[in-house]
Amino acid sequence: MTEFVFRLPDLAEGLEDAEIVEWRVKEGDRVELNQLLGEVQTSKAAVEIPSPRRGLVKTLHALPGDLVRVGEPLVTFEVEDSQPGVVGRVPQEAKPARRVHLRIRRD
Amino acid sequence: MAQLTLVQALNQALRHELREDPRTLVFGEDVGRLGGVFRVTDGLQEEFGERRVFDTPLAESAIVGSAIGLALAGWRPVCEIQFDGFSYPALDQVITNLAKYRGRTRGRAALPVTIRIPSGGGIGGPEHHGESPETYYAHTAGLKVVAPSGPAEGYQLLRAAIRDPDPVIFLEPKSRYWTKEEVDAAAAGRLGQARIVREGTHATLIAWGAMTARCLQAAEAAAEDGVELEVVDCRSLVPLDVDTLSASVRKTGRAVVVHEAPLTAGFGAEISARLMETIFRDLKAPVLRVTGYDIPYPAAAVEAAYLPDLDRILTAVQKVLDY
Repeated sequence: MTEFVFRLPDLAEGLEDAEIVEWRVKEGDRVELNQLLGEVQTSKAAVEIPSPRRGLVKTLHALPGDLVRVGEPLVTFEVEDSQPGVVGRVPQEAKPARRVHLRIRRD
Repeated sequence: MAQLTLVQALNQALRHELREDPRTLVFGEDVGRLGGVFRVTDGLQEEFGERRVFDTPLAESAIVGSAIGLALAGWRPVCEIQFDGFSYPALDQVITNLAKYRGRTRGRAALPVTIRIPSGGGIGGPEHHGESPETYYAHTAGLKVVAPSGPAEGYQLLRAAIRDPDPVIFLEPKSRYWTKEEVDAAAAGRLGQARIVREGTHATLIAWGAMTARCLQAAEAAAEDGVELEVVDCRSLVPLDVDTLSASVRKTGRAVVVHEAPLTAGFGAEISARLMETIFRDLKAPVLRVTGYDIPYPAAAVEAAYLPDLDRILTAVQKVLDY
């Protein structure tokens, strides 16, 4: 397992911070990629925050009402080491099958 | 020592080089903000800033062209081409400039550029995402071609590649990205040295990249039948450690080369020729090759039938044993 710190992304041009409106997850929850984590309010709009990773929510770094600056930690996840890439899947490491057996010729 | 996946090991190697040499730069498509499509560059932009780790447009030729210019200006660029199949638009810059600059300037301008390319199949990717382009690069004089087989190799070889004064094509085996292994961050790597990964007496299996692990599996299966196979991981194709390869095959008398790329003019042909030239009298059987087929890389649903599997490797071993 690896820790992954999700920092408040730059949600729109020039915005420096956002206020946490609500969390839809709590510490200890398992979340899927793109699952809704919560909602933040910027000076321009309310923005829903999807999860950037699949994993376990370890720490929520702010409470509803708190102001978080862009780049500051929002959520720390515990994620599997084997996260697939954007393309393809993680190969399974099962013992590969074989049918051919070897014979050593003794002459 | 830490247990790391290949992805994490490569990430560490990049991080350590960025820390130790302020001239090192990392750039490519999605390597900055996203941290790479396989997360190899995860967190690097955060630590080193947008001037040293940055995203480029979707233009591979421009990525390599920029790397050449930056290297001439004194930087040490490590660029990523997102997938094997997308390295071809950059071939013009690689072949006509990157590989030739040292010779063109009579040795005055070396280009310390490393091009990382996630390569090979086995992850169920779509078209252009499963190719093994090593031979194109190996056939271009002026380039080094490195193909690590796992996390420890990946860490050491990537650091050695970045420190090398000349251009290095660094082919990362995608299907091994999630394999875990102990990685010694203090161990130094050297380019141009093959490694015996399993000792044996009856025949030698020769591979690089993802096929090294496949050959180890084949050697385990062979051992159940009382056949001891030696497995050699080339690690670097250019320069090729012919001495280690020929010493192994001189001992066993038999060799099978295994690669994912198609058979015709694949790098296995080069290895076979080198063995014949150096230890012809010690060979007890012709060198055989187990490779992908001479077809464009197939669709994900049938890639397992394309990639060398245990039965194809063991069948070739039986042939060299029976010769």
